[in-house]
Amino acid sequence: MGKQLLLGNEAIGLGLIRSGCRMVTAYPGTPSSEILSSVIRLKTHAPEVVYTEWSANEKVAFETALAASWSGLRAATAMKQVGLNVAADPFFSAAYTGVVGGFVVISCDDPGPHSSQTEQDSRLLAHAAKVPVLDPSTPVEALQMTGLAFELSERFQVPVLLRPTTRLCHARQSFESDSGLFPATAGPPPKGFRKDPQRWAATPAFRLKLHVELIQKLKAIEQEFEASILNRIQGSFGENGTAQLGVIASGVAFHTALQALRDFGADLPVLKIGTPYPLPRRLVADFIRRCERVIVFEEPDATIELQIPDRTRVRGRLDGTVPQAGELTPERAAAILAEALGEAGFPVPATADELLTALVEELAIPPRRPRLCPGCSHRSAYFAIKRTFGPRAIYPGDIGCYTLGTNLRALDTCLDMGGAVTMAAGFYHAGRLLGDERPIVATIGDSTFLHAGLVPLANAVHTGARFILVILDNHTTAMTGTQPTLASEVGADGAAAEPASIPELVKACGVRFVRMADPYDQDPFQELLKEAQSFTLAAEGGPAVIIADRPCVIFDPTPIVAHPIPVTVTEECDGCRYCVEAFECPAIVLRPDGSRVDIDLKTCVECGQCIDACYKGFIVPQLELQHA
Amino acid sequence: MPDPQGRIVLAGVGGQGVIFASRLLAEAALARGAQVMVSETHGMSQRGGSVAAHLVIGDEPGLLIRRGTADVLIALDRLEGLRHLPVLRRGGAVFINAVEELPEGVGTRLHELGIRTCQLDADGEALRLGSAAIANVVLLGFVAAHTSLGLSPGDLRLAAQGLGPPASVRANLSALDEGARIADGPDHGHCEWRKPSAVLLEQASR
Repeated sequence: MGKQLLLGNEAIGLGLIRSGCRMVTAYPGTPSSEILSSVIRLKTHAPEVVYTEWSANEKVAFETALAASWSGLRAATAMKQVGLNVAADPFFSAAYTGVVGGFVVISCDDPGPHSSQTEQDSRLLAHAAKVPVLDPSTPVEALQMTGLAFELSERFQVPVLLRPTTRLCHARQSFESDSGLFPATAGPPPKGFRKDPQRWAATPAFRLKLHVELIQKLKAIEQEFEASILNRIQGSFGENGTAQLGVIASGVAFHTALQALRDFGADLPVLKIGTPYPLPRRLVADFIRRCERVIVFEEPDATIELQIPDRTRVRGRLDGTVPQAGELTPERAAAILAEALGEAGFPVPATADELLTALVEELAIPPRRPRLCPGCSHRSAYFAIKRTFGPRAIYPGDIGCYTLGTNLRALDTCLDMGGAVTMAAGFYHAGRLLGDERPIVATIGDSTFLHAGLVPLANAVHTGARFILVILDNHTTAMTGTQPTLASEVGADGAAAEPASIPELVKACGVRFVRMADPYDQDPFQELLKEAQSFTLAAEGGPAVIIADRPCVIFDPTPIVAHPIPVTVTEECDGCRYCVEAFECPAIVLRPDGSRVDIDLKTCVECGQCIDACYKGFIVPQLELQHA
Repeated sequence: MPDPQGRIVLAGVGGQGVIFASRLLAEAALARGAQVMVSETHGMSQRGGSVAAHLVIGDEPGLLIRRGTADVLIALDRLEGLRHLPVLRRGGAVFINAVEELPEGVGTRLHELGIRTCQLDADGEALRLGSAAIANVVLLGFVAAHTSLGLSPGDLRLAAQGLGPPASVRANLSALDEGARIADGPDHGHCEWRKPSAVLLEQASR
């Protein structure tokens, strides 16, 4: 294959295949989604069959893969950091039970955050769960660490967390694929599941024994990490073997620090930590002892720093030297290092031109806020919801592209996966206590509903909550790159799968008002919303569910391509901005002088939905104009 | 041709092919035997949001390019180009796909910093070639003919041949040729500096 560019997530996928991993499960989530996609692409070249699945959620993914490990197979599960919260229950428990076949948990953190609810540090969760962590800093290192994670997991019979971050996941690095650096490996031959109830079904008395065992394993692992090739010193100490300033760094932050030091021409000792938990404390303490001051660069939180026994000479996130929130950008790292170098008597020149920065700031270039795609069915659904219920209603929302419903002012909350349904019920019960009778209209995507909405819906029916739930069914997991859902007719690798029926599942929760409708049919959809509201208010009513059925335009543009409705804006347009604000299609562009809007033919997909968005009737089908 | 080396930032909006353009440059550098790191940064939106790619060619650490240290900024959109100007080092260069000139104060400041600006209506050229989608590649052809990142239009042609289905490859090759042709043309595109001196664009010390 020679030299090629390897995306961070592809590197992990390649690492899984080269390690003879036989089962990989995942729930899509930025920045982790391409890991399973690349495994699916690569597995056709694997010597043995590799089972892959897009699971209903991360807990399902974790437990499914864990069973493979307990059967003696190498197995892995991939998710984003908030997904590990969903899988936290088995994550903690599996640390106690241990594993048989190598078991690697991949949780991708998102410092920034770029596309997440939180900036949480999966390494801290692993610390709490007592699971060892490997922390790669480049795609190629992620490939190497994937193999090492399996070996470690097998030798100590524990799950191992591989923790990349957004920048690594989405970086492409040149890689010599036949360099022989990372040969294919495999675990011992699998023997199938062996019964061991004191381990696999341990009661609390045995759990205590397992906990003691786990602590012993961690001690041995820390011992091994003291001499691991993953922890090493770069740069140099002074002639007397000491330095005024040293750096401890892990993950992408290691490279960020190296870049700044190189640009400054500063040669400092840098201790790279590839194993942040358990921290090789003796190695770290020895390093700190040789430096007058040490700065710790890590993301997104202070996992390494917190484990350093004596932090007298240590600066980092805990004392605010490194900002406690937000990404550790090259600019931030350089500023921290420049200041520390200055204090240590090595002033460095500033490279960024602040005048240029100020000049560009003066231009006040507006940020481009993310918007739903032209032709997106969510826009039509939210437009109908907002038109029907106005600004007064409470709009619990959820996680996905449709979180952008907040731009259309038809989404008030976005807590976590499935939160729309539970919070709708909670707002209803709270409203009863407060005498607040505002309508509640919740929205949730199809994949999110199948991930975490079903049990909350059954709970809402059982407790007598009254609200409208609109399931925005666009037939795919759109936000993360159109992965299949449980309702898809194909599985992860394209083979036929049994589709779950969303309406039948909703009925099975006990919902008695279940309707499907195309949100593109604005008027009937608005009528249906009113009908649903009546049901929520009726004496014998209950929660009402509408399934807004229309495929994602990116995933399946065929319905639009089959019936294009090119539109035009008439001369009468007065630039009132209603369509721009209430409909917010990227293809409707307000002229700089604000006089009127035009259709941007480059982005318009000819869905015709904006015809309803101009209540004055100035957006019309092109045909109509020609005939007029 | 010297070895490919440098820090390049590409900026634009979703749908303009920023990621593809970075891929093309990276593959070209890779084929010349260079080490490459490309970081893609994008917002939540598939379309219409800001998109940027950081491309580090050569043996140096770092996944992102720090403000004030990029050799070249390639902007497929005028506003995104302006937004990203502070990535450039003194003596760097910006190539921008735009019809409208840069604001006067900005132009003056860039000149003072020795940052050379080069403007091309890549959208217009792409439309003339029959596809708005290849404006990104037209601009790359233009850039390759102008700078000394160590990548020639020929290097990009080779890389383009391996990217995408045959119809796209043909379109991309003609886009590269057109971009390079404009750079070689009588007015060298709408450029602040002429090609012969541009070849001397030094790998200034950072």
